[in-house]
Amino acid sequence: MFEPKVKLDKALYEKLKMYSTIAGYSSVEEFVQHALEKEIKQFEGAESEDEIRQKLKGLGYIS
Amino acid sequence: MRADRSRLHPVKSRAVALLWTLCLACATCNLSAAAQKVVVLGIDGMDPKLLQKFVEQGRMPNFKALMAEGDFRPLQTTMPPQSPVAWSTFMTGLDPGGHGIFDFIHVDPTKMAPYNSMAVAEAGGRPVNVGSWSFPTSGGGVRLLRKGKTFWQMLGERGLRSTIFRMPVNFPPVKAPGRSLSGMGTPDLIGSQGTFSFYTDHRKDWPAQISGGEIYEVTAISNRVNAQLHGPPNTFRRFPTKESLDLLEKGRAVSLDYDNPKMTQDFVVYLDPKARAAKLMIGDQELVLKEQEWSDWVHAEFKAIPHVITISSAVRFYLRQLSPKFELYVTPLQIDPEDPVMPISQPANWSKELCSELGRFYTHNIPEDAQAFKNGVLSAREFWDQMMLAYEERSRALDYLLKHPAEDFLFVYFGTVDQGSHMLWHFMDREHPGFVQDDVLQDGIPRLYEMLDGQLGHLRKMIGRDTALIVMSDHGFAPFYWEVNLNTWLLEQGYIVLKDPSKQESGEFFSNVDWSRTKAYAAGLNGLYVNLKGREKAGAVAARQEYEALLDQLEKALLAMKDPRNNRSPVSLVLRPRRDFKGPEKDKGPDILVGYSHGYRCSWESPLGEFPKAVFVDNHSAWSGDHCMDYRQVPGILVTNRRITSPAPALADLTVSLLQEFGIAPPSGLTGQDILEPKK
Repeated sequence: MFEPKVKLDKALYEKLKMYSTIAGYSSVEEFVQHALEKEIKQFEGAESEDEIRQKLKGLGYIS
Repeated sequence: MRADRSRLHPVKSRAVALLWTLCLACATCNLSAAAQKVVVLGIDGMDPKLLQKFVEQGRMPNFKALMAEGDFRPLQTTMPPQSPVAWSTFMTGLDPGGHGIFDFIHVDPTKMAPYNSMAVAEAGGRPVNVGSWSFPTSGGGVRLLRKGKTFWQMLGERGLRSTIFRMPVNFPPVKAPGRSLSGMGTPDLIGSQGTFSFYTDHRKDWPAQISGGEIYEVTAISNRVNAQLHGPPNTFRRFPTKESLDLLEKGRAVSLDYDNPKMTQDFVVYLDPKARAAKLMIGDQELVLKEQEWSDWVHAEFKAIPHVITISSAVRFYLRQLSPKFELYVTPLQIDPEDPVMPISQPANWSKELCSELGRFYTHNIPEDAQAFKNGVLSAREFWDQMMLAYEERSRALDYLLKHPAEDFLFVYFGTVDQGSHMLWHFMDREHPGFVQDDVLQDGIPRLYEMLDGQLGHLRKMIGRDTALIVMSDHGFAPFYWEVNLNTWLLEQGYIVLKDPSKQESGEFFSNVDWSRTKAYAAGLNGLYVNLKGREKAGAVAARQEYEALLDQLEKALLAMKDPRNNRSPVSLVLRPRRDFKGPEKDKGPDILVGYSHGYRCSWESPLGEFPKAVFVDNHSAWSGDHCMDYRQVPGILVTNRRITSPAPALADLTVSLLQEFGIAPPSGLTGQDILEPKK
């Protein structure tokens, strides 16, 4: 399956590699994914399914 | 003892007569809305056929008189005939392609997540964190999603002032000269459409989750119950999430994620089983409730930062049962009109002014708690009582607004007929699958119409002789006999593919859908979307040719749909917003709007992406009347003291006519025509 690739500065990649090991991540990918998800969440104000459910389900038209 | 006026001294008599004249003149000044040029009474869901029937039965003398004085026609509603869509058209004169409201529920295609179409909450700026405290650097807010200029903004541009009381899809209220209070679309304090709380010592009697409410387990110890109101998250406090702590435990040196804890307000209930009553203590307030008694509004406070930031709310308690089961219902937490934490009125202090005149009142979305009734938390009679509490508040507000006619234009909204028609239909319709025999409630809907007739009678007495009076509704009503699981139908027709077909009935929000092989999906009450490449998160259908061909195929298939149980056609109309609407928003809605035929409506589960087994199901819910169908089935009403010049007036015509009453030519882009004959 197609996996998107992102180019990183080599120096940054080396830092990521070092700190992902120090921080106990199993791979650079796991570390990068976690860091980016956290960052995006701040912008999206990500709502959980429970929050979406609670916000919409007061509406009598749906179950 | 009866006063004998004939025995009054002549001089005294003349003085009394003068006094009476002055009083009457004064009363006319105070009580007449003569200053208002136009008054609109908006009655959500009033149906022309039912209105005609009740008029003919002699139950609505004031409507009859107004029809005789002026005119009456069914009023063409929008497609879809949903309140947010129809009211948006009424207030802007635009179709959904112009105002951008296509349904109660829209879908964000980048997340495949449904959301409230009317308003959105926006996060504040990046916070500064100090220990467990968190301080946003800039405030978040709420944003009205409806587009287009309202007619009262257009009036305002000509220096005219309006009073707009609870117009739907006007949260936060738009700025215009005059005053307005938001209505449908206004959230409760926790940001939902209305979430009630129910406290019981028999939690196991209830499902784990209940729609539109939260059920809390409480224990009565020595006739005392300790409980809490559960408020919004405290954005000033933060604690590490469980997921972060789990990662830490696994040895990952993560920087922590945080959650905001919910704010609470404690209350205590002291039970008196002998007196069948209880004393409630909340903050510094004490109240005594008998079994099956409603409290007045009770002020509740949530402390975000003690002594610095407090969020004010209001609730009503209903002591449903003391024993053998303890059951206490609490209304959704209201944005307190006395001290609103979000902008519910314009100017901002008007809700406070209303509050000082009328006392606290329901501020959220739709006050009548249909979800509590649907789920058995309130019985039908209890729902009726709760509905009457909301109705009486509106009635008092109308009276107040008529006695203080400071504006050129007045709009007052009543939602009682709409919610009553949804919830009481099965008491008056023996053909309904959920028919219930109830000698009192079978007359519930006619009774609601009569009550609105009383409001109209009051209004007619209060307004000036030259005032244009318009009574209108956004849509009518029809029975809701049969549910259509539209997503299940799409699945059966091969337009949707599931990741795991054995788990068809589990999960919601399309969680089991294989988007890479799915061509179309249904969301909201009338919406159907193509899974389009470049728009949807994992689009599978190419734009242009493939997209258009798929729409043609879907339209044909929808109109050919048959309910095998009775050989009826559940779909009688298919619209394509991009083809059939005008305006800059038309590309942002569903690709198809599905118009259900008489008796049918989208199922309970399909709007949020669930897949029950059967496509067609009898509707046994107490929510037994509806209008989210083919718009031609459910026109609204137009009754006015003017002659109506069109045989088939529509909501968008009314917008133009209102402007014309003030001599204002409609701006370009409005689709309607003036349909009211000028006063001679």
